[in-house]
Amino acid sequence: MKRLTLDSFRTLAESLKGEQRADRGYRASIMLCGGTGCIAGRSPKIRDAFREELRNKWLDKEIRIVLTGCNGFCANGPVLIIQPEDSFYQKVTVADVPAIVEEHFVKRSPVTRLMYKDPASKEQIPLAQDIPFFNRQVLRVLRNKGLIDPENIEDYVAHDGYMAAAKALSEMTSGEIVDEMKRSGLRGRGGAGFPTGLKWEEAAGVSADLKYILCNGDEGDPGAFMDRSVMEGDPHVVLEGMIIGAKAIGSRKGYIYVRAEYPLAVKHLRLAIAHANEYGLLGKDILGTGFDFDIEIYQGAGAFVCGESTALMTSIEGKRGMPRTRPPQSVHKGLFGKPSVLNNVETFANVPLIIRHGADWFKSVGTEKSTGTKVFALSGAVNNIGLIEVPMGTPLREIIFDIGGGIPKGRKFKAVQLGGPSGGCIPEQLLDTPVTFEDIVKTGAIMGSGGMVVMDDLNCMVSVAKFFLEFTADESCGKCTPCRIGTTVLYELVKDITEGRGKEGDLELIEDLSKDIIASSLCGLGQSAPNPVLTTIRYFRDEFEAHIRQKWCPAGVCRELSTFYIAEETCTGCGACARVCAKKAITGEKKKPHSISQELCIQCRSCYQACRFNSVKIGPRSMREDLAVKCVLEETSAAVTAGEE
Amino acid sequence: MSSRILVIDERMAASGELQRVLTPQGHLVESVCAIGEALENLGLKKYDLIILDVGRSREEDIEFIRSLKTASPETPVILMAHSPSPEQYNRAMELKIDYYIPGYSPAHVLFRTIDRALRKDSDQKHTEADSQGEFSPEMLRKLDSVMARYRNKPGSLIPVLQAAQEIVGYLPPVILKRIAKGMRVSESEVHGVVSFYSYFTMKPRGRHNIRVCLGTACYVKSAEEVVRHLSEGLNVEVGGMTTDKKFSLETVRCLGACGLAPVVVIDKETHGPVNPVKAVDLLKDYV
Repeated sequence: MKRLTLDSFRTLAESLKGEQRADRGYRASIMLCGGTGCIAGRSPKIRDAFREELRNKWLDKEIRIVLTGCNGFCANGPVLIIQPEDSFYQKVTVADVPAIVEEHFVKRSPVTRLMYKDPASKEQIPLAQDIPFFNRQVLRVLRNKGLIDPENIEDYVAHDGYMAAAKALSEMTSGEIVDEMKRSGLRGRGGAGFPTGLKWEEAAGVSADLKYILCNGDEGDPGAFMDRSVMEGDPHVVLEGMIIGAKAIGSRKGYIYVRAEYPLAVKHLRLAIAHANEYGLLGKDILGTGFDFDIEIYQGAGAFVCGESTALMTSIEGKRGMPRTRPPQSVHKGLFGKPSVLNNVETFANVPLIIRHGADWFKSVGTEKSTGTKVFALSGAVNNIGLIEVPMGTPLREIIFDIGGGIPKGRKFKAVQLGGPSGGCIPEQLLDTPVTFEDIVKTGAIMGSGGMVVMDDLNCMVSVAKFFLEFTADESCGKCTPCRIGTTVLYELVKDITEGRGKEGDLELIEDLSKDIIASSLCGLGQSAPNPVLTTIRYFRDEFEAHIRQKWCPAGVCRELSTFYIAEETCTGCGACARVCAKKAITGEKKKPHSISQELCIQCRSCYQACRFNSVKIGPRSMREDLAVKCVLEETSAAVTAGEE
Repeated sequence: MSSRILVIDERMAASGELQRVLTPQGHLVESVCAIGEALENLGLKKYDLIILDVGRSREEDIEFIRSLKTASPETPVILMAHSPSPEQYNRAMELKIDYYIPGYSPAHVLFRTIDRALRKDSDQKHTEADSQGEFSPEMLRKLDSVMARYRNKPGSLIPVLQAAQEIVGYLPPVILKRIAKGMRVSESEVHGVVSFYSYFTMKPRGRHNIRVCLGTACYVKSAEEVVRHLSEGLNVEVGGMTTDKKFSLETVRCLGACGLAPVVVIDKETHGPVNPVKAVDLLKDYV
């Protein structure tokens, strides 16, 4: 391939678009999801099965099978969409492949059993665009999800790829790009929400022989997989955003910092960079405009703190990734001492859209201060687990209940965790909070990078707080004493509460210590580490108090603080609990109240979840002795009665 | 097993003392009073340890150490000095003296140091013997070529370590030393980086590596119980390896497969959703 010039690039784009857009000359494309969830569901094997089946039926010249990036509907994976008609099939297995080929493509009648069923009406919905999970979303960053082959640059170009880069390089000055970005109101999608345009303006104003543009793909928040999906499924959009950023600040060299845990993202980005170089979209004299820019991938090695900008730069320098004091800000003195701009993957993915459609178009969605859309990774106790994109300002309730399909198995919503270890838990009474940077901060949580974990009444909030504190205590880099020691002390205090050693005054001590940690830590990790425990205390104080005073974990998660027993009054003796008990701890005659042997019970909660009559109860630990005594008494009295007979 | 110790002391008095206290400990002690004699002995026999007892700081002592180290580079040396100067101390360290104790140290300090010196020696032999079998020349050659490729590039320690872990499987001290030397950085810097990032492991992994995701989504779906069951079922701590080297158990932050929570990854295969009992059952396929 000869390196393209502006003219030859535009000709190529036109001709690619001329071919039936997505289908590149094929009658149909089977777009099989190759996201992490679906790959775990063996989608590569399904692809191979399709290839073979299509070849056997002499259809391989008409129909192509593509392993795409994450489709987003992870809950029902492996999923596939057949283009151009948009047919959606879910939970596909290798065994379903011959049926799909035979019925859908040969007989041309859809395979109804693999269609999505509306949970309420039980009706089958054949097309993806009619499924509520999809049609309530506004796809901008994820616009190409499931539509392109991430390993094929021409697929991306056929979907208007690199048009914005071509425009920025040939028609716009650095100042014009910065102005457009500033007007768009785009704020950093990594979590803090700093206006991207301002950052670029500052960096553009600094004169230096070398400037760096860096992409933060170190998605460290547990429960977040948005950036991963973008890098895996649409790698070129990241490169295009970086090219535009490079032109704006005058940089010739870029780095993408990717987590080592994301090997597929690394593979796709590597391939994308190689292709872009080949096509003249990276390297020397891009598209003949005289602009030079190179991108290199840097694999992280697993440290949460490296999501912090200065720590990330120290890590690229090959050292322990510890943050440093600011000023000087990275835009003045960053990587290797040179001015550097760091943006998140999702931020870069927004850039080409702003350049191509303009700031006004971008602002047409979202709120005044939080413009555009936001991608969330919805997971936990919610029906439609997956990746979603909604306009800023959408209420949490709509995301969880309309798009997410609510809580499974009729359980009750308890809280939603936003922002990972730096964020907080938002309770039911605040579910109408719109997702914008400002409104989420008011609740005590933060917007974060987009992890959204839903929790139901099976979750213990003290335990959740403990989980995040263990995380931050472990991931604290150790530079600042308040963070290094403080988070460990917080963790130990909360751990004591979950193990029955909590005492009056602990909560006040936690709140007090948290204030000190927030005030005296250098970087965002320490400044936000107490957020999860503070918000859980704020909204679920009664649960903490039950742990401390009654030594009782109402959700039955903390083992030392719970006893499982069956309420005789409501037990119908259906035996559902006994069937699920792996330890055979539940006994009882049919249709008569059952009972749990405290000696055998390992507190796995299976019976609690299996009971449809709410008869399995969770009491404080002290009940255990009472129940054991009662059990002995019953046995003795039974023995006595038997003796009398 | 008794160890052969050579004591070098020009004032004989002290060495008589040393011989008296060390012999009951089961050591074979030989004393000489001149360095020339010592070098002669070293040429004839092999010693497990050399104790060099010097008085006032003198220029010759450093020369003694140098010639001792040349004559018998593998034998550990303990330097006992009665009135050391900082300069003498520093130069002794530069010559890679193994242990340094003040001349009038109490007996237990002396014994401990001797024990340590002897053990270190055998440990080293042990690891060297291990490394013979475990790290093939092929591995080391690959590692050296990676280092040659990265040597002059700033910030390349982490990629080299990643490659080394890929090649060797884990990062034992022998390999870290080799990397420090090859990349021309200090061992402490290499160790600092390795211990900072969770991706690096200094412990060997089992033939099958089990990783349990402890991300938020998995955590709220009882991933902790899964870890507990696996740990009990395999009788292995998190971060450890079973005695038969078949399995190693680790926990990870988030694998981004939240849709399948709770998730267990065995080698490269992702399994989910699992429950505690099912997780243990999964292992049957890997025996």
